[in-house]
Amino acid sequence: MSEKTSARTKTIRTDYLARVEGEGGMLVRMRGGKVTDVQLKIYEPPRFFEAFLRGRDFTEAPDVTARICGICPVAYQMSSCLAMESLAGVEVGGQLRALRRLLYCGEWIESHTLHIFMLHAPDFLGVASAVELAKINPGLVETALELKKIGNEVMRIVGGREVHPINVRVGGWYRTPTRAQLDTLVPDLRWAKEASLEAVRVVAGLDFPELEQDYELVALDAAGEYPIDRGGRLVSNRGLDIPIADFFDHVEEIHVEHSNALHARLRERGSYLVGPLARYALHRDLLSPDALAAADEAGLEPVVRNPFRSIVVRAVELVHACDEALRLIEAYEQPPEPSLPVVPAAGVGHGASEAPRGILYHRYRLDETGTIRDAKIVPPTSQNQRSIEEDLHAFVSAHAGLPDEELRLRCEQAIRNYDPCISCATHFLTLEIDRG
Amino acid sequence: MTTRVICVGNELRGDDAAGLEVLRLLEGALPEGVRAVACEGEPVSLLLLWEECDTAIVVDATQSGAQPGTIRRLPVHDDPLPDELRRTSTHLLGVAEAVELARALGKLPPRTIVYGIEGGSWDTGAGLTPEVAEAAEVVAVSIRRELGMDA
Repeated sequence: MSEKTSARTKTIRTDYLARVEGEGGMLVRMRGGKVTDVQLKIYEPPRFFEAFLRGRDFTEAPDVTARICGICPVAYQMSSCLAMESLAGVEVGGQLRALRRLLYCGEWIESHTLHIFMLHAPDFLGVASAVELAKINPGLVETALELKKIGNEVMRIVGGREVHPINVRVGGWYRTPTRAQLDTLVPDLRWAKEASLEAVRVVAGLDFPELEQDYELVALDAAGEYPIDRGGRLVSNRGLDIPIADFFDHVEEIHVEHSNALHARLRERGSYLVGPLARYALHRDLLSPDALAAADEAGLEPVVRNPFRSIVVRAVELVHACDEALRLIEAYEQPPEPSLPVVPAAGVGHGASEAPRGILYHRYRLDETGTIRDAKIVPPTSQNQRSIEEDLHAFVSAHAGLPDEELRLRCEQAIRNYDPCISCATHFLTLEIDRG
Repeated sequence: MTTRVICVGNELRGDDAAGLEVLRLLEGALPEGVRAVACEGEPVSLLLLWEECDTAIVVDATQSGAQPGTIRRLPVHDDPLPDELRRTSTHLLGVAEAVELARALGKLPPRTIVYGIEGGSWDTGAGLTPEVAEAAEVVAVSIRRELGMDA
């Protein structure tokens, strides 16, 4: 066929796999210098967990769902607790809630540190991996290790363990830390804040590939706080403003053939973006004063549309997480009881929180005994999947002339802008080029 | 200075749990002062676990195309992990990167041994395949011997 003989076909494919967070691959197909197809393949564990949860007691959801992700277990715990509590009409407030936010700050510190320094920075600095980065700039990697350790320490003291906290329960905690225990975190968190401010300065000076995208940016609204551990409404820069219970009235999940994951999109509107860029654009004014000043100093405009600059926004959020953790510790008083009683009610409950990568939405249907009859989990990466593909489409279209190897590296970097669950994998993806 | 046994794996991904099976077998069966811990293999977490270790034994599943249940013992303090485990395997990538990261920073414990157990099935929610379960028992015995205990 003429099409076959005349078209110059170029296929960029990266395959497999990650160790903990998921598995994925990327395919960009070009014909005659034009991008004809972009497919991101992501393996997603939530589908398995949704089935696994059915028939279990409502109190088990936080511990079961925490196993979905080794990097953001707290997000899964919080979203599931919130869903169960909303159904029971219980609001975990005061210091019990402050501890949740503190634990979540620990997770943001860990996750953002890993992504900024170990996964994304190597792309900008022209090295293949964190190992190579450690050879040319050991100081940067040492800082990352120290920050990660401090995040771990928050998780250990509040959550009872460094990974997969065991202290979280529906209604609150199994036990609460003393004020003296939390005070031990203060010197480290102060150091972490300074290191984060320095990180903003370092990443702001990187070279960013050109790409401006007109996203619908969606984040939780936490009524006057920068959204982290909870949020009652879903808002966007294009006027979306709905209670989270209406999530599926506005978001539809579509099965696409090339991926195990479901792609989420806003009904009759299309793709949207969740995560640091969205939180920053919608709630910038709610950042801590020093985080906001760092953003200004870094030259971040109020709405950042170049996804490559997400690394700077992530660093600003790192400053905010340290500030927020320090503020929460300063105001802490150990609550008299570690948890509130939660009596399960039959019905459907919704919960959402801001995982480091963006909104994590949970919906559960319970029967009158508190047994889970149906579970639905929408992770941030599946919400961002279409935006990632659109970024790749735009980027490759504009840079089709780049040599294959350079183009592949830039595509991987563009995927990593989203800190997707496949981040770890994309360092190891292999490229297949097919010239028709 | 201490000795630590670090068992890497994911409980819910079939043979990826091989390392965790070894952890179960070693529980209460290690010399005094030797701690065995579970880890998901994320490199920075491994580096933090190696701090203050003079001996680190790491157990992980491998996916290199070998017969399921194949055991490899690799003293990585001298040499990097072999290519067939680095290039073709998803599993051990975390460990391989952690080893090289630690080496670059001068933080690799002076004695670091990696045990790899080749997996056959990685299905979500599946248990260990029989060959892998047997191999885990063998590795647990080897580790006990390595630490100066009777099998």
